[in-house]
Amino acid sequence: MKILLVEDEPALRSTLIEALRQGGYVVEVAADFAQAHEKIKLYRYDCVLLDLTLPDGNGLDLLRALKADNSPAGVLVISARNGVDDRVAGLDLGADDYLVKPFHLSELNARLRAIIRRRRFQGHSHLVFRDLVVWPEQAEVLVHGEALTLTRKEYDLLLYLLANPGRVLTKEAIAEHLCGDSVDAADSFDFIYTHLKNLRKKLQEKGAENYIRTLYGVGYKLSAE
Amino acid sequence: MKLLAVTNRYYVLLSAALFVVGSLVLYLSVDYAVRNEVGEQLQNHRLELEARVASGRPLPEPVYRDQYSFSTRPRPLGFSDTLLLDPTEGSMVPHQELTFRVVRAGQRPAWVTLRKSLVEVDELLMAVAGSMLLVLVLLLGGILLLHRYLSRRLWAPFQHTLAVLRGYDLQQHQPLALPDTKIEEFAELNQVLTHFSRRLVADYESLREFTANAAHEAQTPLAIMQAQLEQLLQLPTVTDDATAAPLLADLYAATRRLSRLHQALGLLSRIDNGQYAAAQPLDLAELLREKAEQLAPLLEARDLALALHLAASPPRALHPGLADSLVHNLLHNAIRHNVPGGDIALQLTAKYLEISNPGPVVVGDPARFFERFRKHNAASESPGLGLSIVQHICAYYGFGLRYSFEPAGARHTLRVSFGPATGGEAR
Repeated sequence: MKILLVEDEPALRSTLIEALRQGGYVVEVAADFAQAHEKIKLYRYDCVLLDLTLPDGNGLDLLRALKADNSPAGVLVISARNGVDDRVAGLDLGADDYLVKPFHLSELNARLRAIIRRRRFQGHSHLVFRDLVVWPEQAEVLVHGEALTLTRKEYDLLLYLLANPGRVLTKEAIAEHLCGDSVDAADSFDFIYTHLKNLRKKLQEKGAENYIRTLYGVGYKLSAE
Repeated sequence: MKLLAVTNRYYVLLSAALFVVGSLVLYLSVDYAVRNEVGEQLQNHRLELEARVASGRPLPEPVYRDQYSFSTRPRPLGFSDTLLLDPTEGSMVPHQELTFRVVRAGQRPAWVTLRKSLVEVDELLMAVAGSMLLVLVLLLGGILLLHRYLSRRLWAPFQHTLAVLRGYDLQQHQPLALPDTKIEEFAELNQVLTHFSRRLVADYESLREFTANAAHEAQTPLAIMQAQLEQLLQLPTVTDDATAAPLLADLYAATRRLSRLHQALGLLSRIDNGQYAAAQPLDLAELLREKAEQLAPLLEARDLALALHLAASPPRALHPGLADSLVHNLLHNAIRHNVPGGDIALQLTAKYLEISNPGPVVVGDPARFFERFRKHNAASESPGLGLSIVQHICAYYGFGLRYSFEPAGARHTLRVSFGPATGGEAR
């Protein structure tokens, strides 16, 4: 899966490249508007990660250019501009999703996967992880071919873990993924533990292996090995 | 006390003093004038009598003995005062008398006494005091009326200035608009005030810009920090290290906190900036249900029961972001300051949105809860911006915001009234 990352901040760019490559993507980079414009005209991407504030132009114009070309690429806007109007403008112009800086890399991963899944397979795709099969479109989870009944939050949690196999997910990232942006550091994250405990129990009852690892004081990880 | 009342009081005091002095002077001068005139008349009368005697005619026989009499026995000469009884009035009337000696040819000399009545003291006093009092009353009444008229007329610009000042709101970023007046003092006052408000607005403006810029500029380094910390956490050498991993996780959490703080400050300054002009009809009940659903895990974790009473209310023209923030902060505040196993009652009607929850008694002025960085518990990890944001959003839309505490059951209630604000305001 090929991704174009448009980001002018070098330090953030390099970290994002690293994280995306770890996630199994092929990443190309544009540091400014001109480079980005050239690349989207020349190449095809599965998804474009678009920073709105570029030194030589507005990211929204790149979005317009992509849409004008009927590009099949998904667009995920990443911006420090938390203005809701920016978000609305971005989504109105046809962006698939919007992330406000700073964001969790694991959240970026999950959103990216969701976009690509929708775009490439029109939703007709399934995720396979060891003895687990998940059909996101139907919100169906199968363990060894057997349906697993999960609550909404447990399902969201499982999907989030599956979007980031092998990655350490911090408590903050999980909490914000489950409760939206509305949860913050002052809240207790006990509920994550409760949901995780229930999820593990249900998986074990169906005979799935325990591949959700707890990293004390840090978070959780879907262990690939 | 009103300036005019104070001025009037001095006027009255001064008038009273003037009245006493004026009456005295008037009395003395009238008395002197009467005495002088009477003395002159007596002298003229004497000259007449002396001329008559000198021409050889006899002294006239006295008709009114109290006015003219003579005797051959010697009397003290010159002017003197005496009191005579006025039989008709039955009162003692002061008289001036002049006694002189007349030498008659061929007869023994005679001592003639002439008398004329002076004005009675009490009558004179009454006349003087009466007229003075009349003048005084007219003067004072005139002054009071004039002042009342002036206070309406001349002080009008001052009252206007006062009204403008009272209604002044720095949040609107407008300097005072005070009209020119012809009266120098007021014009000067208005000038000073206008200048003052300009500076205030400029200072406020620069502070606001500073906050907005600081909040915005901090997001990029924060984004770098957060991303790199998250990448660090992926390193097996770090996650397997029992000391390094929690340190990094704490750092990560702190970074997150910092960026939330900046986002909240940015939001506040954007509200102040009026950057949320765009509004669209929004179903608050729907939004509340959505948010409640989103926060369900937090509610569960604290064992809180949320009761929604959402009456059908007309869609309100709100900016979706602000509406979201308003609802979010209200709910979050109720969750955070709740007691374990407590409840949250949320009521939406066409007129207001009310949220109440039990919680520990909060000491201090309720109005201060809405200040920035105001925390119930200083050690709390929350920056204490939630209610400040709620207040700013309410102010932005002209909603009333009222906090009340009910000791029975220790319930805190926040009510957002959609109509114009009424009493017990948070601001």
